[in-house]
Parts: sequence; structure tokens; C-alpha cells
Amino acid sequence: MSTTISNPTQAPQSARSSAVTKQMLKKSSAARRARSTRIKLWLGTILTLVVVVPIALANLLPIADPNMQDLGARRLAPLVDGHLFGTDQLGRDLLSRVLFGGQTSLMIGVLAVVVSGAIGVILGSIAGFYGKWADVIISRVLEAQMSLPLLMMLLLVVALFGPSIPVITGVIAIAQWPEVARLTRSLVLVEREKPYVDAAKTLGLPKLRILAQHVIPNVFKQASLVILLLLAQAVLLESALSFLGAGPQRPFSTWGRLISDGQDYITTSWWMVTLPGLFIVILVVGVNLLGDALRDGNLRRSSKKEGK
Amino acid sequence: MLTYLPKRIGQGLLTVFLTVSVVFLLIRMAPGDPAASFAGPLATNEQLAAVREQFGLDKPLLQQYVIFIGQLFTGHLGQSYSFQAPAVQVVMDRLPYTLTLATSSILLAALVAIPLGMWMARRSDTDAELGVNVLTIAGQSMPDFWTGIMLLTGFSVLIPLFPASGFTTWGGLVLPTITVAILQIALVSRMVKREMVTNFNAPYLNIARSRGVSERVLTWKYALGNAGIPVFTALGTRFAAMLNGVVVVEVVFGWPGVGSLIVRALETRDYPLIQATVLITALLAVVVQLLIDLAYPLLDPRVRLGKAASA
Amino acid sequence: MKEQDTAVLEVSNFSVELMTDNGIFKAVNNVSFRIGHGETVTIIGESGSGKSTTAMGLLQLLPQGLAALSGQVKIKGEDVLANPKAITKFRGRGLALIPQDPMTALNPVATIGSQLREAIKVAGRITGKQQMQSKAVELLEQVRIPRVEEQLKKFPHQLSGGMLQRVLIAIALASEPELLVADEPTSALDVTVQAGILDLLLELQQTRGISVLMITHDIGVARLVSDTIHVMKSGKFIESGPAAQIVDAPAEEYTRALLSAVPRLGEWDETSMVAKGAS
Repeated sequence: MSTTISNPTQAPQSARSSAVTKQMLKKSSAARRARSTRIKLWLGTILTLVVVVPIALANLLPIADPNMQDLGARRLAPLVDGHLFGTDQLGRDLLSRVLFGGQTSLMIGVLAVVVSGAIGVILGSIAGFYGKWADVIISRVLEAQMSLPLLMMLLLVVALFGPSIPVITGVIAIAQWPEVARLTRSLVLVEREKPYVDAAKTLGLPKLRILAQHVIPNVFKQASLVILLLLAQAVLLESALSFLGAGPQRPFSTWGRLISDGQDYITTSWWMVTLPGLFIVILVVGVNLLGDALRDGNLRRSSKKEGK
Repeated sequence: MLTYLPKRIGQGLLTVFLTVSVVFLLIRMAPGDPAASFAGPLATNEQLAAVREQFGLDKPLLQQYVIFIGQLFTGHLGQSYSFQAPAVQVVMDRLPYTLTLATSSILLAALVAIPLGMWMARRSDTDAELGVNVLTIAGQSMPDFWTGIMLLTGFSVLIPLFPASGFTTWGGLVLPTITVAILQIALVSRMVKREMVTNFNAPYLNIARSRGVSERVLTWKYALGNAGIPVFTALGTRFAAMLNGVVVVEVVFGWPGVGSLIVRALETRDYPLIQATVLITALLAVVVQLLIDLAYPLLDPRVRLGKAASA
Repeated sequence: MKEQDTAVLEVSNFSVELMTDNGIFKAVNNVSFRIGHGETVTIIGESGSGKSTTAMGLLQLLPQGLAALSGQVKIKGEDVLANPKAITKFRGRGLALIPQDPMTALNPVATIGSQLREAIKVAGRITGKQQMQSKAVELLEQVRIPRVEEQLKKFPHQLSGGMLQRVLIAIALASEPELLVADEPTSALDVTVQAGILDLLLELQQTRGISVLMITHDIGVARLVSDTIHVMKSGKFIESGPAAQIVDAPAEEYTRALLSAVPRLGEWDETSMVAKGAS
């Protein structure tokens, strides 16, 4: 299987007497798949950066303070008086509010993914590696949570324990860990059958050490592919909670809250809902595209390895 | 099958039981006195004591739990504080609205997503498919409350095609249905595509092609016939999830369903109502899931008929 | 033998190039051969030698976005590569495939009976529900399946691999084949049932004068069934000739290596099949 002539994305130069034309090559499944993945990757990166870079640099940008009210400049339309995104009902600069609100939204998202990732990887690998009762319990809990009225429970917890950032982060993490756990569990189930695990056992290494030092690092790369998809979900979930009033309280104004506040003025000031919403959409689409592209690319790489 | 059914029902009931128990504990673990929130900030000590007695909050936790279990079995979860009516009854009155919205959304989703997914599978990785693919990603990336507000503004305020809120005419169902369905269409069409591609690449399909079966039959009877089984299951699961997942959309559209009810119950700390809502939605989700599980063998002969001795 | 002039299958300078993620890979490199009426021609080689790709390429069953076919493939004198639509005329009508792995070769959610009737319908010689049903019964009886009526109602997963391969042969027979492409028809089966399937194929071929293109890695099978053998390695035929000549006096080292994998005695050897099938 080693008579590879050339890469399908390049022209077949050494293709002696090949019937494959450039045109055919361009239309081949492999080339088209690679192209799709590449486009998704680029588009995803651009969209993500368009949102993330301004948010990260918000403190350095020459924009107004997000909480500075100017009752004389209420609900200015975008581009009026130097307000790129216009102003809200209290005359605050909307762009500034979207960017600073985004810092909170993103921070919660990232924290939630870290927490859910940690819980998911640990519980998932325990279920997969030890099996037996550990697997039974964890799998049952997973299943149970899938059939729960999830958003209601999250709202309930936030309502009862107060909408602080740790509570909201924890709640989102709890909503998300099953996905990581299920994936990790299935990866570990495959991994633990590999010869090196047996070898390590024969050497008398403690199971926990094999799991922590060998198995988890090996599955981590694959499991980490869902991180971006989880981040997208976390941002959406946080915005929904915020919209329902169960988001972080003042002074934090996350995207969901901005939209909820702007809802009352939708007929006269469309930008107050539309622009924060677009920010969410662009970020989440970007992150999802990136996640998709990385997963596609990874699948192909692993199939390449097997093909050898 | 005979041992499978009781086991599944048992598991489902256990899930429901654990759920309501968790909610029971959460309410009592929460900081602050539930009685205080019932009675309001200006309540006297006597009023507080009366509220505690009325809801049994003065008894030890374990005893409260036992009483609660008893209530579960009789189906009386107490009076709703804000509606002054049996909590279960209040929820049951709202349930048809949520069911209507969930049903119309899943039907719309299936109607759009299945042809769309089949088309995407056929055109895999063409420019047109890539465009649609990005659109489906957008569909699953739009916050539903935002989409809802946008649709509402567009087609009810600016162009007054549909009523803005509530369920007064069937027209009021259109915008909430579309809002809920967008995410479902995105998710289901991608799944249909995946399943169709898997079956297009399966050996049995190519071998059927070798014996002259037409591409039309290969697509509709062979690939869709096989892909349809997991897709049906996914639709069912999504429907079950929707029964408690349309909270946000109900709030946006003022839809009088269970979702907007729970938001109100939480705002007013109406604990019996919260309990009743969680119980009923969890029960419903479990029942729907059970029905899907029961329907599965009817669709898939491999499950229905078991396996003969191989070799 | 008088019809030898127009071969059932005539292949000249046939190549298959696979456009993979790793580049273009010439899986089949300029092969030429012909199969006359009632003849059995075998392509033998190791796994990865391109023999199955040859068969699937000839039948145009490789995904279009993956495989580029070139050369000339004439079925009963008609070039099916020049006109890609032409192959559909033969599929299920005179041209049939017996696949490698019977367990994955049938639609899992349709009954044996419905798939058999579908093939009878495609062949187009029999119409009417009743007639098709009795033809289906007749076909299954010809491949010696017991309790036919009962099997027709079953789904593929309820039958064993050997039984399924018989069903697939019956489906192939439904097309009244003049050319049968058998792509390692026994390699996925238990050794105990391989003999039965080979016997059946031989019998059908002899009684009906079907031309067969046999793909195998097993020299025992090749010797048993073939008139002509082509030895394939890395996409090329490295040695061709009458079966007896290839087996008794191989010219190439590679062929000798294939031969030595099988003990010389007997018609074909089961244990070596298992060993090779597993590799």
C-alpha cells in the first residue's frame, strides 16, 4: 500500500499514465472532504476571533465605561454620536456593554467546561475502567439525568441558592458532565483492552496509577475534541438562564440579560436585542464550526493511521 | 420482552422518584426559610408559624419526607400557593398547551429535517451542502429566546401576520413552533445525514446495487429504511426532552404551558407547584421514553426476533 | 465452445486509481484478460494485491468520488466503461455478484423472501406475485436450503453465514447469470461450510455453463475451480496461464510462495484458509 503517487490536493506530477485528471481529483471525495473541513476551520476561526478578540481587549479599547449612564443619550441608534452599537435605555454604550458582558459570559462558559470536563473525565474513566458496580451506578445516573427536566432543575437550583457566578457555573457544569462522561467511558472501554494495560497490570502497577498515568492521558486528546462543542453549549445555556433572570446579577450584565432588558424596547430600538444576540450567534457558530472541523480532521487522521 | 418491560418501568419510576426526592432535598437545603418566602417579608412570627404548620415545615426532615412520599402516592402535592388550587391540577391544566407546542414542533422538525438530511447525505461535501451544513450549525447556535423575539418582532409587530402572545387562535402556534423547531431541525437533519451516509457506504447497499436495484429504491427503501430506525428513536427522545425544554420559548411567547408556569412558580417560590411540575414533567418524559423503547422492536426485526445461532 | 469469439467478459488495460487522503493510489495497474463462455477465470493474490478492487471496479461498484477507472471492459461485446449507463443493463440481468461477507450483504430490515423476489423482479422474466413466490421457493431449493417456506419469512440476522451465502447465490441465480463474479465467496465462512458452498458453485457452473470470475487468496480454491489463473501482486498480473500450469510449474517466486502456503495434497485445505483469512 505504499505506491502513493501524490497528494490529492496537489497536481499529480509523477502520475505516469494516470487517468486521473486534475478535474477528477478536485471532485474526488477525499479532496472535497478536505476542502469542507478547511473551509469550516477557517470560517470557524474567523467568526470566533471576531467575537473573542474584542472581548479580550475590551479593557484596552477606547470605548465608554459599560455602566456610565447618560440620560441625555438614551436609545441612540447605532453609529450615532460615536456609539458603534448605539446606546440602551439609560444611555449606556451598547458595544461596551456587549463586550464587558461577554467577558462574564465567556468566563462562566470556560469555567463550566473545565469543571464539567474534569467531573466527566474522572467519572467516565472510572466507569469504563473499573466496570462492575462503579459502571452501573455512574451509567444509571447518566441515564437518569438525560431524562430529567434539566432546565427546570437548573432554574430551581439558581432560584434557591442565588444567582452567583459559582452557582451558575456549577449548574452549567452539572448539566454538561454526562456528555463528557459518556464519551470518556466509551473511549476507556476500548483503551483498557489494549496490550499495554495488561502489561502494566502484569508488572503489578496499581490500577489507579495505570488509569491516571496511562489510560486517561491516552483518551484525553480524543475526549478534548468535545470541549469546543461544550463551550458553545455553555454559552447558550448561560444566556438562557440570564434571559430568565437566573443569570449573574448586577454589576454583571451578560448577553442573556442584555437581550432580556432590550426586549421591552424591541419595537423602537431593534439594536438592543439584535446586536447582543448576533454576538452570541457569531461566537457559537464559530466555536461549533471549529469543533466540527477539528473532529472531522481527527477522524481522517485516525483513519489514515489505520490505513497504513 | 416479558422481563424487559417491568424492568424498564421500574427504572423509569426510580428515575422519577429520585428526581422529586432531589428537588425535595434541594428546597430544604436552600439557604433561607421557605416559610418566610411563602408568607412574605412583612409576616409576623405567628403567620410564619402558621405557614410552617400548614406545609409541615415544622416537623423533622425525615418525617417531612415520609409525608411527602405519602403525598406522591396519593397524587396530592398540596395547594399551590399562588393559584390557590391543587398544585397537580394547576399543572395538568397547563399540560395540553406544552404538549401541543411540543407535538407541532416535532412534526415540523421531522417534516423538514428528514428530506433535508437525505439531501445532505446525497450531496455530501459539495458547495451547496457545505452551505446548508453551516446553516444547520447556525440553527443549533441561535439562542431560542433570541430567535423567538426576532420572529415575534418580524412577523407579529412589523408585519402583523400572527398574534404576539398567548394561544388565542391556531395562528398563535406558528411562531413558537418555528422557534422550537429550528434547533430540532438542525440537530435531526445532521443525524439523518450521518445515518444515511453510513447506510450508503454499507456493503449491503452496494451489493443490492450490483443486482440491479435502482438508485431510487436504494435511497428510499434501503438507506432510509435502515436510517429511519435510529432517527425515529432520536425524534422520540427529542420530543421527551422538549416536554421540559420549551421553557424559554413559552416565556417569550407568553405561551400558557408548563414552562412558563415553572418560571412563575420559581419567582413566587411556590414550592408545591414546583414539586408538582417537576413530578409531572419527569413522569411524562419517562413515559414517552418508555413508549419509544417499546416501539423500537416493532421497527427493528433484529431486536424483535433476536439472533439465531450464528455460524 | 463455438461462441468463444465474443467473450462474456473482455478486459483490456484496465486500471483503477484510488484518490485517497494520502494521495493517488494505483490499486489496479493495466490488467487485461478475457473470460469465454462457461469458463472460470481466477484472480489470486494476497490481501491488498488489488484483486477485489479489480472485481468491484469491473462491476463499477466503487464510489465515484474514490475510484477512477480506465481502460476497456466489454461485457458480451459492449464496452461498459465508455458508457457508464451500460452497466445497469447487465446488473441483475445476466451479471451477478457473490460477495465476500454474506453477513453484511443483505438489507438487515427486509426478509429473505422480499429480497429474493426483488431480484426476480429486476431480472424481469417473471411477473405476478404467485409466480415470483414459487420462483423464490425454487431458487432456494436449488441452493439446497432446507425448509424453504420458513426461511423466506426470516430476516438475514436469523440465518447463519453459510445459509446466507446460499441465499446470496440464489439471488445471483435469479438474474439468470451468464457471468458470475465471486469475490472471495468462502473467506468469511466457517471452514466447515466452505466446502459446501464451493461444491454448490462448481455444480451450478457445470450444469448451467455460467462463466465465473473467481477472486480468491487461496490457491486450493483456485486450482479446484479454474480454467485460467492470473496471479496478482501490487495491482499487476505477474503470472497468467492455465490452472494446471500455474499450480504445477509456477514461474514466479511470489506464486511459489502462495503455493507453499498450502500443503500439496487434497483439493483444498481448510487450516491454511483459516490462517490466511485471519491475516
